[in-house]
Amino acid sequence: MSTAVLAIPTRTKEERAGKYLAFHLGPEEFGIQVLKVREIMGIQEITAVPHTPLHTKGVINLRGKVIPVVDLRLKFGMPEVTYTQRTCIIVTEVEGESGPMMIGAVVDGVSEVLNLAVADIEDTPDFGGEVATTGLLGMAKVKGKVKILLDIDHVMTHQDLNELGKLLN
Amino acid sequence: MGKEESGMNSTEVEALLERAATQIMLGENAETVATLALLSSISIPAEAMKLVVELHGVAKENVSEQNQWEDESSRAQVEQGLDRLRQILSEFAKTGDVVVARAATPAQVTSSALNQDPELVGDFILESREHLQTVESGLLVLEKEPTNPETLNAVFRSFHTIKGLAGFLEFAHIQAVSHEVETILDLARTGQLVLSPNLVDLTLESADFVGKEILRIEAQLHGQDPGEEQDPWSLLDRVRKVIGGDHSASAPEQAKVVEAVKEVEAPVKVAEIRKPEVVASVSEEATVAPSAAAGQDSKSKKAVTTDTHAIRVDTAKLDYLLDMVGEMVIAESMVRLDPDLSGTKNTRLQRNLNQLRRVTEEVQKVAMATRLIPVGTLFQRVNRLVRDTSRKAGKMADVELVGEDTQLDKTIIEELTDPIMHMVRNSIDHGIEAPADRVKAGKPQSGRVQLKAYRQADHIQIEIVDDGRGLNKDKILAKARERGLIGDTVHLSDSEIFQLIFEPGFSTAEKVTDISGRGVGMDVVKKQIQKLRGKIEIQSTPGLGTTFYLKLPLTLAIVDGLVVGVGRERYILPIYSVHEMFRPTENQVSTVQGRGEMVMVRNQLLPLIRLHRSLGVRPKNEDVLQTLLIVAETEGRRFVLMVDEFIGKQEVVIKSLGASIKNTPGIAGGAILGDGRVGLILDLEAIYVERSSRAEIIKESLLTAC
Repeated sequence: MSTAVLAIPTRTKEERAGKYLAFHLGPEEFGIQVLKVREIMGIQEITAVPHTPLHTKGVINLRGKVIPVVDLRLKFGMPEVTYTQRTCIIVTEVEGESGPMMIGAVVDGVSEVLNLAVADIEDTPDFGGEVATTGLLGMAKVKGKVKILLDIDHVMTHQDLNELGKLLN
Repeated sequence: MGKEESGMNSTEVEALLERAATQIMLGENAETVATLALLSSISIPAEAMKLVVELHGVAKENVSEQNQWEDESSRAQVEQGLDRLRQILSEFAKTGDVVVARAATPAQVTSSALNQDPELVGDFILESREHLQTVESGLLVLEKEPTNPETLNAVFRSFHTIKGLAGFLEFAHIQAVSHEVETILDLARTGQLVLSPNLVDLTLESADFVGKEILRIEAQLHGQDPGEEQDPWSLLDRVRKVIGGDHSASAPEQAKVVEAVKEVEAPVKVAEIRKPEVVASVSEEATVAPSAAAGQDSKSKKAVTTDTHAIRVDTAKLDYLLDMVGEMVIAESMVRLDPDLSGTKNTRLQRNLNQLRRVTEEVQKVAMATRLIPVGTLFQRVNRLVRDTSRKAGKMADVELVGEDTQLDKTIIEELTDPIMHMVRNSIDHGIEAPADRVKAGKPQSGRVQLKAYRQADHIQIEIVDDGRGLNKDKILAKARERGLIGDTVHLSDSEIFQLIFEPGFSTAEKVTDISGRGVGMDVVKKQIQKLRGKIEIQSTPGLGTTFYLKLPLTLAIVDGLVVGVGRERYILPIYSVHEMFRPTENQVSTVQGRGEMVMVRNQLLPLIRLHRSLGVRPKNEDVLQTLLIVAETEGRRFVLMVDEFIGKQEVVIKSLGASIKNTPGIAGGAILGDGRVGLILDLEAIYVERSSRAEIIKESLLTAC
C-alpha cells in the first residue's frame, strides 16, 4: 500500500492529521475532519424539495437558516434505510463555488471523535482501473478497523460520485 | 457662524486669534469657545486647523455652564495652543496667503491620515458622500426656489461639514473647494447674493469635484491607483470670481474689493489667484437675479432631504438578527401554545404571555424592515441626471417622481442605480424630442420623464415613462435585419421588436452623441435586471412616448404568504398573486379537448393545475371536489391551483435554499414557518409555464397508457 498513488497531491500528510468525526453508513466506517463539522443533530423532519436529485432529501431549518440536507447513503449509491433514533444529521460547512456553505449530511449514526496522527493515515490505495479516488482524503486504521476519510468539500459539491459509490459497495 | 467666515483672510484670522486670547484673559470663557468654533470653520492651513479643532474640543469640554474653566490646566493648554497657532500662522503668512498656502500643496491625495487613520478616512468618505447627496438634491431644489432658506442651510451645512472633515484629514483640495463654495452659499444664505442657475451649476460642479476627489481617496485607501489628478485651480478660479458683492462689508474690506476687481479684470494667472485679496474678489455674475428660475414650475415638490439619522451595520449582522428574530417568534409561539400553559387559569401568567407576544411581534416587524430603504434615494439622483443630460442634448425635460416611499431592499436599489440611470439617459437622448420638434408635434415644449415605483402583486414595479417620440419599430426592424438578427420574412409582435434593443451592440441612433447611442448599454441593463431576477418590458406608442417596466422580485424582501398543504408538504404562495380560494362544485370542473382540465370561475374558464403533479408529491385527495382551488395570477395570466388544504397566512422572509438546490424549477425559495419547519415558496410563473410542457405530457402519457 505504501507504493500507492497519492490521490490528493495537494494535501500533505501533516495536513491530514488531526481530529475526525467518525460515523457509519451500514457496515462502513467513515471519518470527516472535525473542522468541517458545525454541529450534529438528531434526525428531524425534512422538507422535501421537488425536482432535485434523489440523494437531496430536502431542507431543514437550522436556527433560522435554511440548509439543504443530503442523504450520504443515497449519495454513495447505497441502499436506502428508514431513519431510526440513531440516525443523525451532521451539519458540515464546505467550500462551495461561491464561498462557504452549510449542508447537512444524513448518516446512520456517529460514533466518536478520533485523534489521528500522521502515522495513522495512509494514502488512498490505487484500486486500479477507472476508480476515481477524489473525494477521499485517505484511509485510517483504528483499532484494527479501516475508516474511510472523506474529503467532504468534494463529496458535497460534486453530483457524480458513482465511482466512489462503486468502491464503497 | 455669521458672515464673518466668508472671504476670510489672514489678517482676520489673526484678529480672531487675538480675540480668543483676550477673551481667555478676561475670563469670557463661553465666548472663547465660540471664537474657537468660528476659527475652526475658516479655511486655514491643515496643521493649524488640527490645532484649532483640538483646542475647541478642549475648551468646549472644560468650560462649565457657569462660564468657568473646570480646571486650570486646560485653560493653560488653550492659551499655549493659541500661541502656537499664532506661530504657525505667521510662518504661513511669510510664504503667502493663509488660505491658499495650504491649497498650494501638491495636487495628489497626500494625507498622513490615509496611512495613520484609514478608519477615519473611511468614515470621512461615507459621511461626505451622504452630504454630497444632500447637496445635490438641495441644489436642484434651489435651482427652482433659489431662496429656500431651509435648503440653503442644509446645503451650506453639508459643505461646511465636508470642509471641516477634509481640513482635519488634510485633504487640501476638497477643503479648498468646499470652503469657497461654502462662501457662496453663505452669501446666498444671508441674502447678499441670489443663486443664479449659473451659480447652481458651479456649485454642482464643485460637488462633483469633491465627489471625484473622494473617489480618488477611496482608491488610494484601498491601495489602488487613484487615477489622474484633478486640477482644482480653474474651478477655484471661477468660484472665487463669483464671490463678492459683500455690500455690508466694512470700509477697508470694500477697498479690498475694488482692488480685487482690478485684479480680476487683469489677465489672471494662477499664481496671482493665490494671493489673499482675491479671496474676496467680485464678479459681474454675483447679483444676477434668478428671473429664469422664478418662472419655473412652482408646483415642484419640496426637497425630500429628510434628515434621517442612520448608522451603518454589516448586512451579515442584519441577516443574522433576522434569522434569530424569526426563531424567537417561533419559540415564543411554542411557549404560548404549550398545552400546559394555554389552559392555565393564572391570569398574571396569561397577561405576561400576552405582553411577550406583543413585544415579539413588534420586534419582528422592526427587524424585517431593517433591510429596506425607500427607493427615493435612487430617484433623487435621476433629478440631477435629467437636468444635466437634457441640457447637454439641448432639450427640456421635467422629472416627476412617484412612489419614492416604496421600500426596496438596499442591495437591489444599489444594483439598480446604473440600469435606471442608463434608461433615463436614453429616454432623454433618444426619446424626448428637441423643443421645436415638440411644439410642432403639438406637445408642450418641455418633455416629461416620470419615474414610478410601486408594489404590485409579488414584485416591485418601477416604470420609466417618457412622453417623447416613442420607439421607431421600422427602424429597429431594419437595423435588426441589417445586422442579421432576424430573417427578412420573420414577423414579430411589437413587444418582440422592442426586445431587440436589448441585443448587444444594438443602436438605431443616427449619430453617436457623448450621451448615448453607441449601442452599449441596453444589453447590459437587461443583464443587470436579470441578475436581480427581474424582468424588463417596453411599451411604446409612436409620437406619444415610451415606457420601460421593470419588475423586480422581492428576492430578499418579505412576502406575505398563503400557506397551503399538499399531501404531507406545505407550500407558500405569495398572497399578491392569489385572487380567491374556493371548494369547487361538480359542474365547475370540466375537461376541454386538447387543453386539459378547466375550471369555470365567475364565468371565466381557467386552466387547472394540480399542484401535486407539478411538484411530484402524493396528495391527500385526487378527487377535485375534495380539494381546495386557488385562483392565482402571474404575468397577467390566471389559472387555478389545486391543493389539499389551506393552512394559514404568514408573512415570511424569503430564504435561499442554498447554492446546491437554489435553481429548482417551480420553487422561488424557502421560508421558516410558524412551527419552525421549512416551507417552500412557489414560483407560480414557472409552475404555469411548466404545466404546458411537463404536466401535460405526463397526463397524456397516462391517458394513452390506460
